[in-house]
Amino acid sequence: MSRIRRRIHSAALLLPVVLLASACVRDTETVVVSGSSTVEPISIAVAEGFAAVRDEVSISVDGPGTGDGFELFCDGLIDINDASSKIKPEQIEQCEAGGVDFVELQIANDGIAVLTHPGNDAVQCLTLADLYALVGPESQRFTRWSDAQGLAAELGSDTDLPSAPLDVTGPGEESGTFASFVELVIEEFTEERGQEETTRPDYQASADDNIILQGVGGSATSLGWVGFAFAREADGVKMLEIDGGEGCVAPTDETIADGSYPISRPLFIYVNAGAAAQSPVLEAFVDFYLHDAIDVVADVGYVPLADEDLAVARDRWASRTTGAA
Amino acid sequence: MAFTTPAAQVGAIVPEQVRRQLTGRRSDTAGRAFQALLITAVAASVAVLGVLVYDMVQTGSATLTGRLGDFLTGSLRSQPGESGLLQGLRGTFYIGVFTVVFAFPIGVGAAIYLEEYAAKSRLTRFIDLNIRNLAGVPSVVYGILGLAIFVKALGSVTGPSSQGRSLISAGLTLAILVLPIVIITASEALRAVPGSLREAGYGVGATRWEVTKDHVLPYAAPGILTGTVLALARALGEAAPLILVGAVTGFLSGGTELDPSTLGDRFTAMPIIITTWAGRPGAEWEQVTAAAIVVLLVVVLLANAIAILLRNHYEKKRG
Amino acid sequence: MSDLTTPAPYTLEDFRGSRRRMRTERAVRAVLFTAALLSIVISVLIVGSLVGEAWTFVSQVEASSLWSDGWFPRRGIYDIKTLLTGTLIVTVIAMAVAVPLGLGAAVYLSEYALGGLRKLLKPMLEILAGIPSVVLGFFALTFISPEIVQRVSGEATQFNIAAAGIGVGILTVPLVASISEDAMRSVPMALREASYGLGARKITTTVRVVIPAAVSGLVAAFIVAVSRAIGETMVVFIAAGATGGSLFSTDPFKPGQTMTAAIASQAAGTDQVRGAGLTFQSLFFVALLLFVITLVLNVLAGRFVQRVRQAY
Repeated sequence: MSRIRRRIHSAALLLPVVLLASACVRDTETVVVSGSSTVEPISIAVAEGFAAVRDEVSISVDGPGTGDGFELFCDGLIDINDASSKIKPEQIEQCEAGGVDFVELQIANDGIAVLTHPGNDAVQCLTLADLYALVGPESQRFTRWSDAQGLAAELGSDTDLPSAPLDVTGPGEESGTFASFVELVIEEFTEERGQEETTRPDYQASADDNIILQGVGGSATSLGWVGFAFAREADGVKMLEIDGGEGCVAPTDETIADGSYPISRPLFIYVNAGAAAQSPVLEAFVDFYLHDAIDVVADVGYVPLADEDLAVARDRWASRTTGAA
Repeated sequence: MAFTTPAAQVGAIVPEQVRRQLTGRRSDTAGRAFQALLITAVAASVAVLGVLVYDMVQTGSATLTGRLGDFLTGSLRSQPGESGLLQGLRGTFYIGVFTVVFAFPIGVGAAIYLEEYAAKSRLTRFIDLNIRNLAGVPSVVYGILGLAIFVKALGSVTGPSSQGRSLISAGLTLAILVLPIVIITASEALRAVPGSLREAGYGVGATRWEVTKDHVLPYAAPGILTGTVLALARALGEAAPLILVGAVTGFLSGGTELDPSTLGDRFTAMPIIITTWAGRPGAEWEQVTAAAIVVLLVVVLLANAIAILLRNHYEKKRG
Repeated sequence: MSDLTTPAPYTLEDFRGSRRRMRTERAVRAVLFTAALLSIVISVLIVGSLVGEAWTFVSQVEASSLWSDGWFPRRGIYDIKTLLTGTLIVTVIAMAVAVPLGLGAAVYLSEYALGGLRKLLKPMLEILAGIPSVVLGFFALTFISPEIVQRVSGEATQFNIAAAGIGVGILTVPLVASISEDAMRSVPMALREASYGLGARKITTTVRVVIPAAVSGLVAAFIVAVSRAIGETMVVFIAAGATGGSLFSTDPFKPGQTMTAAIASQAAGTDQVRGAGLTFQSLFFVALLLFVITLVLNVLAGRFVQRVRQAY
């Protein structure tokens, strides 16, 4: 190899080494947001707005699931946990053990839409008892809708469940949507029945809402549940009406906002109070979230808070009230 | 000599030519059918490649032709129409740098030791077997290795502001992943150097290192280079280890600078972006995913093409 | 009497050569040895980081949860056979695609193709080899699944194992082709010439002389391809759907889960699970299983390659 070529080759090899050697890595100002995949789109929209104004800050947003997010949060590994269900007692204990004080802030409302295939005309409206009978802890191994008929009747429902295959697709345990669903639908019955507060384990679980929607759309007599904001965007699924004791109600912005749709749940962000005290950037981000950016909630397809609730959240943040409400 | 043609010269005389000479051109239906079957197999393999590339280009064409500039310089967004690849390109670039800086010297060094220095002992046979096994280990296992060592154990060094989930961890993990490939291809390149070259060097009293440095390495350089480039192309396309090391999948602000002091921050890379976008519903996301794939393919195939060209060029020179 | 003084007797030192060169030589040797040793260090690290947590899993897991309805690690249900079946189905479908195409291409390139065509086709296969698996995953989801799988079976959902299997198969074709071709090319020309000399046709020579002679190499190619298919993650992760947990299923037209995708799915979540069962440890257990399986396969393949080398 000629000398000149050799020199060029050596220089080319040296360049990356020099590049890396100068990498005295900095301690950047960061905001780390993780948690619910339901709340993720809201946090992303807020982060985009914030990054446009404060471009020297490094913000990252992930959505592995509310439960997983709390694990990270209570270990102090993330600054903000998006949550589509309220923090649970075990998680509060975990945060205490991890030395993390949190500020709970409600930022939006969302409904859980119960879905089936658009061609499934046999099912239009389900009661909460039906849902418990179909996907509750006592429903393991039910392979047809009609298998749940007996249990549903016991609980006081008179819906006629068809004798069709029951293909269930839904969020898994890492998801806040799962936790909310259990809280709002399953727990109604688990105490009187002496059962564990969870769903049946044998269904196709996924953290990815898109996969759930695909799963529902892929079977003629499927059953699934996702956040309303995702369901409203999707074609290939049909949202069922839910009867919470006062007639069948379909999920819409209005019925979720006024609470007439039985399976509505609040969406939260949990902020690490200690981290906020030490990081002006984090404080600025949360201020931005609650004040300047809160309108993105509607843009992204969720139900905005009523004015009183928003005021409550703003007050909690302003006074840095820690603990669950 | 027809009956003692050594295997090495097989390339010069192709079986088909031999057949023609020896059997004439009698018609042979079973044979033709068989040949047709084989041609179908080849055609199918090539066709798949064609269909794949065509499908990606076509699906992503609107983005590629309409807003290529913005697409290459934009960042991760919630809207597909505004999303861009700059953070991914940067991440992939740095992963490439790490691979070259770490895997290349260590890999070539190990290969030199194994081929030039080591006696054929049990230890070297064991190391050899070990390397071949490592080359076959699934990438996801390397990801777990990276998670355990670089993210958890060395987190404060590899990424103080990201709990270790940084480009440094990712780069090192992928460097380890391709190290066996570099060693294997470098070994083969070194083995191909004729013994006479070495003997000439020793004959004039050079030390082993002098012979290696001045004679063997220059001769084997093209093969070694080709191997490194192929390993690099492999590293650039891997996603599983990045998932385990904590690449960002949702949103990331920043992460677009080439400034090396940002190597400790959260990051993303092209394969992860593609994985994330692939899961998002809707035709628009499909479009940007396909466009991102085309960009990644250009990068990876360019690397592969360079390797192949290098090899052909030097093989021709060698004669 | 001459005036010549006898030169001082030569000692060993004089033959040793310059100190500096010797020192360089020793230093270089040490550095290179360390580099080679690093590969063992890496293996030890891999096994070390896996075994600890995997042992925790094995020692604490309830045996009954290892044989139940599905793989739901967050629920403490660790039905390994779900993952093994998923991996098996993907591998079988992948081999059904890769072996005919790869072997056919190899036979053609080795025995039939003339120079010009070879120069065109070999690079194409090498390009196919260079395609990242995430690309194939997306292709499987958006093209193979609707255009091929759903045409075969109307019941198939968009996310299904069959599409992932076909994608993995396509990925593996170049591997099968290149190893098989090498095996067949190393069969000496003399064998073919002898066959023609006896009046055999081309197809007879290829099928009854060359292929049997190269069979060790072909088996090695197959084993390596199986190992690759087992270790493939991203195609399944993107196209097969069951990212949270999976029911035990043998239906290739529905979503499913393999060992590799299970690890990636879990890892997308938390890495510190306290008091939530053995979810995290199950990851390591599956990874260790994977490592052992691919290790065994690779050693086996190596043995077969040895046999080819020895024969010729």
